[in-house]
Amino acid sequence: METKRVLILGVLFILLVVLVVLFFRSGGEERIRPSAEVVSPELESLSKKPGETRKIVLFFPSEEDSLLHKEEREMLADASLVQEAKQTIEELLNGSKNGYLSPFPPETKLRELFVTKEGVAYVDFSREIQEKHLSGSSSEMATVFSIVNSLAYNFNSVKKVFILIDGGEKETLGGHISLLRPFLPQYDLVAK
Amino acid sequence: MVRIGPNVPFRIQRRAFKSRVIQSMTWSRGKDYYLLNIRIKHSNFSYDYFSLNNPHKLVIDISLHDEKNSKEDKILKGKEVLRKEEPRKEFPSRSSREIKTVVIDPGHGGLEIGAKGKFGTAEKDITLDISFKLKAIIERNLAFRVVMTREKDIDISLDNRTAIANNNRADLFISVHANSSYRKEASGPETFFLSQKATDEEARRLAYLENNSAELEEGIDRENEEEIQMILWDMAQASYLRQSSQLAESIQKELNLLLGTTDRGIKQAPFKVLAGVACPAVLVEVAFLSNADEEKKLGTEEFQSNVAQAVFQGLVNYLKLHSQE
Repeated sequence: METKRVLILGVLFILLVVLVVLFFRSGGEERIRPSAEVVSPELESLSKKPGETRKIVLFFPSEEDSLLHKEEREMLADASLVQEAKQTIEELLNGSKNGYLSPFPPETKLRELFVTKEGVAYVDFSREIQEKHLSGSSSEMATVFSIVNSLAYNFNSVKKVFILIDGGEKETLGGHISLLRPFLPQYDLVAK
Repeated sequence: MVRIGPNVPFRIQRRAFKSRVIQSMTWSRGKDYYLLNIRIKHSNFSYDYFSLNNPHKLVIDISLHDEKNSKEDKILKGKEVLRKEEPRKEFPSRSSREIKTVVIDPGHGGLEIGAKGKFGTAEKDITLDISFKLKAIIERNLAFRVVMTREKDIDISLDNRTAIANNNRADLFISVHANSSYRKEASGPETFFLSQKATDEEARRLAYLENNSAELEEGIDRENEEEIQMILWDMAQASYLRQSSQLAESIQKELNLLLGTTDRGIKQAPFKVLAGVACPAVLVEVAFLSNADEEKKLGTEEFQSNVAQAVFQGLVNYLKLHSQE
C-alpha cells in the first residue's frame, strides 16, 4: 500500500517537472529570443580551437572621398556567431588602424546584439550614438552603413540589420535616415 | 452616401473606432448604396475630404474650432484615414485641380537643431531662411500655393511634416537641409530622393496587396490589417519614385550650374521624412555645415538667395518636362 502511494506521488512529481519545463519552454514565443538559441546551425557546429583567429572586414568612411573603405582585421574566432558579431562591432567602435575616420561619437558603446533566425541582426547602441551624433544626411549614412555592411559582409547568416538605441527603436540618428526598418547592406557605397 | 455598381466588391470594416473627436462610426446599407454615419463628439467643427490613389483611400479631415484642442486635432488629422475600394468619382483628383500646391519643409527646428558648424551656425536656422526665400520666389513667379511645414523655430515631428504635405494635397514636396560629414573637406550640394530597398518580404506583401485586395480584407484579422495599412501609408512615396528622381535631377543640375559647385550628383537614401509623402518629393542638402568655408557662405543672404533661385529653377524645369508629357 505504502509503496503504491510513493509510486503515485513519484509519477505525479515527474509529471509536474515535465509540465513546468514545457511551460517555460513554450512561453517565449512573443519575446525576442536571446541570441544563443538562434545561432545558425552550420556556424555552431564549426568547432574552433581556442586561440584560433579569423579575418574580418570593417567599413570606415575616409577623408579622401564620400565612400566607405574596407579595412581587414584579425580577431579571435568564437564558436558563437553572436560573439563574433559583437567583437566586429567593438572593433568598428574602436576605430580604424589605417587612418580612416570613425563614424561614431567616441562615447558610443555596444549594449547588446542578437540575431534572429530570420537573419535580422539587432544591434543596440548606447544613447551617445544619437545624442552626440553630427546629424546630417551624409554623416548618418556613413554611420548606418558602416555598421550594416560590416555585419552583413562578414556573416552570411546576417541578411538585414536593425539598429536600436538605448534598448529601443528610434526614428533616426539625427533627423534624416530612418531607423524604423531593417537595413540591407549597400555595397555601392564602398570604394572599389 | 456612396453609390456603388452591382459588380463592385465592397467590404465594410466593422471594427471599433477609438478617437477623441469621433464618437462612433457606423455603416448602413441601402439597395445600391452604403451610408457612413460619423458621430462627432463636439458641436463646433468643420470638415474636408479628399481621396488618394494607390491604395484607394478616402481621407476625412475633421477640425475642431477650439484653440485648446487644436494641437490634438492636428495630430489626429494625419491618422483618420479610411480605406475603401472604389474612389468616389466626384472627388477632385490631383491632376484635375488647377492650382498646385508646393510644400516646403525647412529641416529641423526647436530643440532639434540639426547639424552645427564650428562657428555655431545651426542647420535649423539656415533651412528656415532658405525656405522663406524659396517660398517668396515661387509665389512671385508661379500661381502656386506654397505651404511650409514650419514658419517658426519650433519642433515638428517627421511624421507631422509628412502629414502636413498629405493633408494639403501637396503636388510637390521639397525638404531643405544643410549637410554634415565626418570629412572636413566634403562640400557641394546634394539632392536626394527616397531609396526604399523593400526587403523581399515587404515586396511580396505589396505585390500580394496589389493583386488581392478584396481577398485580403476578408482573410486578414484586425491586428494584421492595421499593420499592413500602416506599411502602405509608410510607403506612399514608392509610387512616385520616378518623378521624384526627375525632380531631384532637375534641381541638382541647377544647383551645380548656379553655384559652380562640384557635382555630387543625385543620391538615394531612406529618409524618414520622404517615405510617407504622396507626391514627388526630394530632400536638398544645400551645402556642408561641417565644411568651414561652406558654413560661412551658408550664413550669407547672397548664398541663400542663390540656392533658393536654383531650387526654383530646377522646379520650373521639372514642371516644363511634365507639361509636355
